[in-house]
Amino acid sequence: MRRNHLVILIVLAALILISWSGYHNHLRRSLESQQRAASHVVLTRDGEGGSPPAGEATGTPTDSGSDYRPGALEHKAAPAFTLVDLNGRKVSLSDYRGKAVLVNFWATWCGPCQVEIPWFIQLHNQYASQGFEILGVSNDTLDDDDQTRLEQEKQEVSTYAAKMKMNYPVLLHGDTLAAAYGNFDSLPTSFFIDRKGTVVAETNGLHPRDEVEADIKKALATGGQ
Amino acid sequence: MIGRARTRRFLTTVGAGRWRLVPLLYSAMLLLPASHVLSGGPLFAQTIPSVSRSGSKTSVQFLYPEQISVPAGKPFSTDLHFRVDPGLHINSHSPHEKSLIPTNLLVVEEPGLKVQSVDFPVGAEYSFAFSPAEKLSIYSDQFVLRAHLTAERGEHLLQGVLRYQACDSNSCYPPKTIPVAIDVIAK
Repeated sequence: MRRNHLVILIVLAALILISWSGYHNHLRRSLESQQRAASHVVLTRDGEGGSPPAGEATGTPTDSGSDYRPGALEHKAAPAFTLVDLNGRKVSLSDYRGKAVLVNFWATWCGPCQVEIPWFIQLHNQYASQGFEILGVSNDTLDDDDQTRLEQEKQEVSTYAAKMKMNYPVLLHGDTLAAAYGNFDSLPTSFFIDRKGTVVAETNGLHPRDEVEADIKKALATGGQ
Repeated sequence: MIGRARTRRFLTTVGAGRWRLVPLLYSAMLLLPASHVLSGGPLFAQTIPSVSRSGSKTSVQFLYPEQISVPAGKPFSTDLHFRVDPGLHINSHSPHEKSLIPTNLLVVEEPGLKVQSVDFPVGAEYSFAFSPAEKLSIYSDQFVLRAHLTAERGEHLLQGVLRYQACDSNSCYPPKTIPVAIDVIAK
């Protein structure tokens, strides 16, 4: 009887030992897995080392998505800004007070932008006499830390603008305005601003030419002379 | 998809712990001067650029493999599987227009592990509805890259990033990078 108790005790002890060992093995693997995941984050943060253009977004599976809400700026004052154009001249939105302005965010790598730029050129020609202006704000990434590279990148934007025959000011560093203009996450994105500086319409993505023209007319018609 | 119809570019040799562009030939197009590609310090001091807009959503996921076993010291090929979100596409490795951003892979070389080249699949032809005449070369749904590597005996971590630029049917998203990491066990 006493021997049976002893055997049962030994078996129980062995089972407890096995369970404890398995549990600790599980903990160790979980910890290793977490450390590995953490090392991936280290790899993709901060922008000192070589490679994709500085300022470029780095995605991870935990990204939560943009907080962009289309139309959030409508009926509000257009956020003020000053950027430089392709010639290095400072251009402010306030320079255009009293005019209807289309602020169009675009990039050289954006196919839909390429479709609407010719429309803008035609519409600019058509409505400029009524006080309509366009500011084409490039969202191409520019590397301010590397002068040679910066000049090359500016030249690429300039070459593209010339190729497209853009007849309105092309401004650089548009990505610095993303937060002020609602954190839009895709291009093209356009804001139609009336003569008093109020956003009267906003579009994200390519919209039909007729709709663009209607928004221009709306900007021209509101806000007084 | 991997096989005959694909492009192949080769790397040149650089020291350990350095970011490498695969293929190196495209460094100029990616605005990566040679000094950036070839300079650097310790492995984890060499990082991918900062997140310019927090919370931006990725359109591409690296699916697998997480771990591979390879014969030590012998050339080996492995397929890297990626998925593009439904409704989106990304430029292929060889887009038809110079202004479009190609899909590329950047890797870190570490001692004992050498990625010799990566094969990119040929892109599918695609046109936006608003511009049917313009043909694009794209990847959508799932696509596979084939990496050719050699590894010395032991365990290694193949680290890199995939750089891509995505669009949907009427708008485009800024170029992004996603991490790629594979445990390489060479026996």
